[in-house]
Amino acid sequence: MHGRRTGAAIVLDTLENLGVETVFGYPGGAIMPLYDALYDHRLAHVLVRHEAAAVFAASGYARSTGRTGVCVATSGPGATNLITGIVDALMDNVPLVALTGQVRTAVMGTDAFQEVDVAAITHQVTKRNIVVRSIDQIEPALREAFSLASGSRPGPVLVDLPTDVLRALVPSEHLDPRVESSSPRAKPQAEPALLDAAIAALATAERPVVIVGGGARWSGATEVFRSFAARAGAPIVATLHGLGAAYPGDPAFLGMLGMHGWKRANHAVAKADVIFALGMRFDDRVTGDPSKFAPNARTIVHADIDRSEFNKVVPAQITLHGDLRETLVALDHRLARVALPSFAQWRAQACAPHERLPCDDTRDDHLSATDFLDALFAALPADAIVSTDVGQHQMWAAQRVRASHPQHFLTSGGLGSMGFGLPAAIGAQVAHPGRTVVAIVGDGGFQMSMAELATLRRHDLPVKIVLLDNRNLGMVRQWQELFYNARYSATALPDNPEFTTIARAYGVEARLVDHANAVDAAIARMIESSGPMLLHCACYPHENVWPIIPSGKGVDDLLEALPA
Amino acid sequence: MRTVTATDGRLLARIIHLAHRFGCTYTSVASQRAGAAYRIEFAFAGPGDALRRLDAQITKLLDDDRETME
Repeated sequence: MHGRRTGAAIVLDTLENLGVETVFGYPGGAIMPLYDALYDHRLAHVLVRHEAAAVFAASGYARSTGRTGVCVATSGPGATNLITGIVDALMDNVPLVALTGQVRTAVMGTDAFQEVDVAAITHQVTKRNIVVRSIDQIEPALREAFSLASGSRPGPVLVDLPTDVLRALVPSEHLDPRVESSSPRAKPQAEPALLDAAIAALATAERPVVIVGGGARWSGATEVFRSFAARAGAPIVATLHGLGAAYPGDPAFLGMLGMHGWKRANHAVAKADVIFALGMRFDDRVTGDPSKFAPNARTIVHADIDRSEFNKVVPAQITLHGDLRETLVALDHRLARVALPSFAQWRAQACAPHERLPCDDTRDDHLSATDFLDALFAALPADAIVSTDVGQHQMWAAQRVRASHPQHFLTSGGLGSMGFGLPAAIGAQVAHPGRTVVAIVGDGGFQMSMAELATLRRHDLPVKIVLLDNRNLGMVRQWQELFYNARYSATALPDNPEFTTIARAYGVEARLVDHANAVDAAIARMIESSGPMLLHCACYPHENVWPIIPSGKGVDDLLEALPA
Repeated sequence: MRTVTATDGRLLARIIHLAHRFGCTYTSVASQRAGAAYRIEFAFAGPGDALRRLDAQITKLLDDDRETME
């Protein structure tokens, strides 16, 4: 092959020239030429134990860095195992490129071994997918994929690579391996007149509220958001993906909004007369019944990169279509020249500094998951990265986390994918080898991904796993208790395994915590540990997430405890 | 009748899937190659709210496709 390069080598060189350092994947038949090229390539590869973990790890890498994550799988089941993570990336706007092997172009459509039309399957759930049909299409396809994945509203792009294309040879001189990064595409910019109108609305407001969403993460708007928010002087609330945008200690920050958000945050939005909704999409977990959302708002200013979000769920009077960072720079610049009324009285009223999250009393000397998380977040370093799985622990964490940047809190929001937490932490730890990375998981979700303990050990990744084990699929159990007459159908997990034994079998240090008086020492030991560690927390099984606004209801229906 | 231009000819299939998902029906669909792109004409019928959501999704798809064209 002297003087000639394979399609697979071109893929890897192109990835490298596009700035990729690490890919997460799992080998198989059709993708073998790529793995053969990886054997002696500079590109780092993290071998996971299931393709679903590859895509979640790539997502964790992207969420914690803002850079595009890359995952690799073979054709057929390898490709289909990526689908959940691809949809997850679509719903949470994660820049992601998925590379899949494909059967030879000559046998496509013959039901060949491990053949699946992954382009058709993922058509509805990617920004774009590309089937590469010849070696000369590889480099432009990858360049296009990366540009699209990170462009405007980020999302997943899939590149399907038939095995004959990967194995094809081309003389080296026919291809320039140096791929110039494509110049960033121009992003839409909010209209100046609408920016002026937004400032005018704020200047005449009596009870303004700022809602910040995931757009702050993806547009890199954290710093300018904080400047804007400080100038505006309005109470701030965050969506699940907006957590970390406001300073965790900012007295104007009321916490998370929505179904399991802070009461004060929901009440502030309910009372607000002017709302700045920044980089958020009025998800149903935020609004509840949209007709009851923000009933006193005379002006909603909605800023987003995606104009299809405007008026999709909640009507906005002023729409700012553009990159959130640029929009906020323009708003901040205008605010610097405007004398706003003081919102101090409203802010003091809205902030309710003495409000505490309602909690259930635990019984029989059981460990409280919420008490544990309070202790954990008090102990973690300020730059720690926390991922969660999905369920009760996710909401408890979101209510309490003190993330100082949106890239410090990684969670599957839109899709709510169980099994996300541990692989996402793996991706974040690969991207940030010197940082404390903690995966907070439940006993349900952990069992969807615990084979990745092997990935921790193999790659020497010191991820800390906090397993809040209530021997139930807790969130479903809670809903059954509240809304299904306590008919606990298929949610009890009394047959959970001995998690510490499993972790140790993978070579991962593990400790059981089952009493409150052991919490602080266990957390300290975990943070000090230089390697991966599992803290198995045996928690009270009937602790619920409070408050809750039942699905489809409004803030007036908020519950802080089980109805009498 | 709405006429759009897309680089990805498969966009039409995606739009039809969305219409079906939202409980709409298509009353007219046509697609023609136009240089490097496709000219797609379509008309849908259905409940007003569903058509509004469909229209928003089509706008989003076209914005993504436009990124490819730029």
